[in-house]
Amino acid sequence: MVAPALIAAGVFLYVPIVFSGYWSLTEYSGLGKPEWVGLTNYTHLFRDAEFRKALLNTFLFVVLGMGIGPVLGFLSALLLNNAVRFRGFFRAAYFVPVMTSLVVVATIWKVLLNDQGLINQILSFFELPTRSWLSNTTTALPAVVVTSVWQGFGFETVVFLAALQGIPRELYDAAKVDGASYWQQVRNVTLPSLRSTIMFVYIIGIIGSFQVYDQIYVMTGGGPINSTRTLVFDLVERFNQLDLGQASAVAYVLLAILALLSYVQIFIFERGGR
Amino acid sequence: MTTVVARRPLRRTLLYIALFITSLLMIGPFYWALATSFKPSADVFASPPKFIPSPWTLENYRDVFTLLPFQRYFFNSVIVTSAIVGLNVVFDTAAAYAFAKLRFPGRDFVFFLLLVTLMVPFQVNLIPLYRIMVALHRFNPHLGVDTYSALILPGMIQVFGIFLMRQFLRSIPDEILESARVDGAGEFMILRKIVVPLAAPGMATLAIFTFLGAWNDFLWPLLVTNTDAVRTLPVGLALLARKNTVNWGDTMAGTALAAGPMILVFLVLQRRFIEGLTAGSLKG
Repeated sequence: MVAPALIAAGVFLYVPIVFSGYWSLTEYSGLGKPEWVGLTNYTHLFRDAEFRKALLNTFLFVVLGMGIGPVLGFLSALLLNNAVRFRGFFRAAYFVPVMTSLVVVATIWKVLLNDQGLINQILSFFELPTRSWLSNTTTALPAVVVTSVWQGFGFETVVFLAALQGIPRELYDAAKVDGASYWQQVRNVTLPSLRSTIMFVYIIGIIGSFQVYDQIYVMTGGGPINSTRTLVFDLVERFNQLDLGQASAVAYVLLAILALLSYVQIFIFERGGR
Repeated sequence: MTTVVARRPLRRTLLYIALFITSLLMIGPFYWALATSFKPSADVFASPPKFIPSPWTLENYRDVFTLLPFQRYFFNSVIVTSAIVGLNVVFDTAAAYAFAKLRFPGRDFVFFLLLVTLMVPFQVNLIPLYRIMVALHRFNPHLGVDTYSALILPGMIQVFGIFLMRQFLRSIPDEILESARVDGAGEFMILRKIVVPLAAPGMATLAIFTFLGAWNDFLWPLLVTNTDAVRTLPVGLALLARKNTVNWGDTMAGTALAAGPMILVFLVLQRRFIEGLTAGSLKG
């Protein structure tokens, strides 16, 4: 009964993981035989300006996105946790982008962020400075971050909302008896009760953010001047240039980062849970 | 907590204003895309912006279908997604049942080996998977790169799906299964008559998040498709957006066609979708 799943996992998971690791230690164009070169691909990568830029951009993307997204999700969950009418409607409004493909969302935002697009028109209506958001090296990455946060934070909202509704009322009643204000209740009752949910949101979010690709492909194509080049974008570029050795090395760098992060997160979680 | 804000009229008004503004920010871009899809190309970046298309036109929708075979992309997405969902529901559930309820040597170790792969991002496997599909295509031209099989096979099982279903199936009491065995029922009989009916809600959850992942998948379909015969909607839309940097009305019509059906399905099955996509979060 496990046989089909194990065969599929073998062929489509384990074999690729091993080959990816092996090719990262070779020079290989996809034609002919891979040629063993040891760690050359890795040393080359860390001296390569494009790869370093990609690494930096990916970290920036993760830090900015994870700095904003979960906080927005938490705040909107707090809003929705009040006894409001049309809660279903509001929740759906936050959640629709989550269901929608990143390609669709990125395409829509590309139009909004166009030089003559709605965002610049609104800015100039309020006499604020307008920009060429996606063709400017300083604003392109933040613009992609905003798009990604907009697409994803509804997920966090819904997860937090479900967790908020699971917090026993008695805890709040007790805090109120002690004279705690609304924000004191949030800090002393809500946040501690949500510890595992917060952890979950960050784990899922960080792992997902490190793999950012779709919105980059659609909105900027990695440009201008590599200012939105990310790790996965770098990987695919090297793959398209038939440098399978280096592309595999990029894949393994990504794997190493995520493995390390998972380890750290599990470690923190285990200690915090006790 | 619910009553803290609710009892004060001023705060209550502020609450609704905040909710209203944020939902406008969420729905606005979709509305703008839809409105743009009905505008003649001269009006797309009109200043001041036209929030209601006037005059309106269906030209963009006609263009989309003449520029690219959008109906074909839609059809391909339906085929590929249904196959992936079907395969996952069957194979993930079967494997999860074995890990949850059957005893065989090395069971927990094998399960652990599977769980470890959850840490491995898909992109690590991308290149070898591509080479496998190239090899498969050389072996048989009906398989591998640029066929449905390349799109479907790597997604046929998901470790997270097995994990989720195992959690679910573990809650079925062993006594029910034991008494069925005593009555002489075979394993497949037990699976069909007892396990599947009890596991149905879990399978629905599995189906929904598999559906979303497969329907919205982009990088892998982009790499393994070279012809319109097998391209899926996200790939087609990205091509349209790249091909067409002048007429944004066309691109927005493509966006509406790609996202519209999904949003409608979501609005109908909202509760199930939200539960499906956030599955595991409460236990996590």
